[in-house]
Amino acid sequence: MIGQQQILQTIEMLQNEHLDVRAVTMGVDLFDCTDRNVDTVCRLVREKIVRHAAPMVKACQSVSRRYGIPIVNKRVAVSPIADVMAGHGQEGMLQLAFALDAAADETGIDIIGGYTALVQKGMSNSDRALIESLPEVLSKTRHICSSVNAASTKAGINVDALLLLGDIWLKIAQATAEADGFGCCKLSVFANMPEDNPFMSGAYKGIGEPETVINIGVSGPGVVKRAIERIRCGPGRCDLGAIAEEIKSTAFRVTRCGELIGREVARAVGATFGIVDLSLAPTPEVGDSVGEIFEAMGIAKVGGPGTTAALAMLNDAVKKGGSFASSSVGGLSGAFIPVAEDSALARAAEEGHLTIEKLEAMTAVCSVGLDMVVLPGDTTADTLTALAMDELAIGVINKKTTSVRVIPVPGKKAGDRAVFGGLFGESPIMEIPNGASTAFVQMGGRIPAPITSLNN
Amino acid sequence: MKDYILTVMAQDRVGIVRDVSSALAGIGGNITHLNQTVMRGYFTLIISVEAPDERTQLEIRQAVERKGEVGEFEVSVRPYAEAVPCESCASDRFTLSMQGRDQKGIIARTTTYLAERGINVEDFYSYVHDGVLLMLAQVSIPSGVDVEEVQTGLEAVGGEFGLVVHLQHENIFRATSDVRSIIDFERTAL
Repeated sequence: MIGQQQILQTIEMLQNEHLDVRAVTMGVDLFDCTDRNVDTVCRLVREKIVRHAAPMVKACQSVSRRYGIPIVNKRVAVSPIADVMAGHGQEGMLQLAFALDAAADETGIDIIGGYTALVQKGMSNSDRALIESLPEVLSKTRHICSSVNAASTKAGINVDALLLLGDIWLKIAQATAEADGFGCCKLSVFANMPEDNPFMSGAYKGIGEPETVINIGVSGPGVVKRAIERIRCGPGRCDLGAIAEEIKSTAFRVTRCGELIGREVARAVGATFGIVDLSLAPTPEVGDSVGEIFEAMGIAKVGGPGTTAALAMLNDAVKKGGSFASSSVGGLSGAFIPVAEDSALARAAEEGHLTIEKLEAMTAVCSVGLDMVVLPGDTTADTLTALAMDELAIGVINKKTTSVRVIPVPGKKAGDRAVFGGLFGESPIMEIPNGASTAFVQMGGRIPAPITSLNN
Repeated sequence: MKDYILTVMAQDRVGIVRDVSSALAGIGGNITHLNQTVMRGYFTLIISVEAPDERTQLEIRQAVERKGEVGEFEVSVRPYAEAVPCESCASDRFTLSMQGRDQKGIIARTTTYLAERGINVEDFYSYVHDGVLLMLAQVSIPSGVDVEEVQTGLEAVGGEFGLVVHLQHENIFRATSDVRSIIDFERTAL
């Protein structure tokens, strides 16, 4: 038999430390559903998603029970809808969004991602139509998540697209004003967006991906936090190197759970096993927080000096442990710092230790960027554009993924509170210098690709 | 040479394995398998030994007993009978864990439930500390038995005693503690 201590350690991780598989995300190619008739496209898309996703949901339930590991979300990521629906305009996009939403309801899928446009170097008519449809789509559907790739290291930053998105963010917030601008929680704007990301709202099925593919997002901030607490309370001197090693071995265990579940589900539904995303993904629940990991490492006020170094070490150690554990790593693979979705980060923002400027610095050493950052309702479109330009520049120059998921809350000001509920959590509204960069952003155009992109 | 299975139980002290193995070597025996444990100061040993054809069960037992003080070792010897392979007996290994306040009859009730469904217990560990029971068992569930039904049934059995019960496929524990690739799990069993 496997060692008793090893069994007990795993049971402890599952029962008391919030170890779970955060997302099983099935990529489904939709390019064989295209047609000149919108009704036909919608029918084919709905049929295809139901055909593939229903068995996936069933397989997740069965595998979850077999191994005793909760699977929190079952998701589908589809081919970029701006390309699938090219030629159908905004009305067609909207109709398809409803068809996708209905397919999610029919199959028990939690979220469908891939309402996506790839515009890093320029927008097609179809890309523009998709972006302009977002206020309606994100306010009238329940399961659709959207993403826009507006920058890349190879193409630079499409400021024209970000100017359009500045307006769109405000319109989405207005369309969901009664829910504190909740629609914006379902839109991420990226630099260097990965094609195999299982996490929402940025998941889509990349053009270079298989017909159907299973990508896994693991979780485990609680497990990492407890491991750090144990080693700090243990005998002998515990230096930062020892903590990094502990995080590595913990990340190994967490990742292996994801790999096991992903392979089983993929085999059960006849899909390709894609990747395990090593990101530490928090939830608003106490004990399942990346912010609490910083506290366990000895940073009393998250956001204070030392936080970026702690995050850099955490992120690196997770990757080292995780990459050995999995045969195929991908997606975002870095610690998430979504303020509203992480109770300790939200508390730090409320207490004033964690500011937007510090968050931006932290995103230079982790994956996801300004994520679930809640802003005053009077934030201008130009300020949102400028904020996104800053964040995407970090990704472009550092050849990494960054993203912006910001929520300007209509009628609320800095210090007020926005409540989204469920996994989206709640957060104080953060201060942002408003309107200072209008002349800069309004010049528009494209910030050219950096010289480091010329690496052939 | 003939194969025998031999067990020894005694109060633990230094040198019991030396004494038993020397006794067996002294009569020309060769140990092929050995499993030993100490629980609460008591030693148990199970050995598979090849002994020369002319040696009897009685001789083997007495050779071992003579190595201890009078009455120190409780020794049992029987000829090895090979288990008959059963092609229709394919099974899958799961780990059963039960935790909670100890009461009389938990193990009896649980193992009765398992036996009634043809589920074999292959390895078992149980421990009570400060009145709290921890039980870990590796069980083989024959193919054809509905695992989810067994999980639900065992949770109900545990519920009768107020215990937390989990029945999980062993691969989750291999995944979290074995550095081999998970791809290998599909080819190998423990």
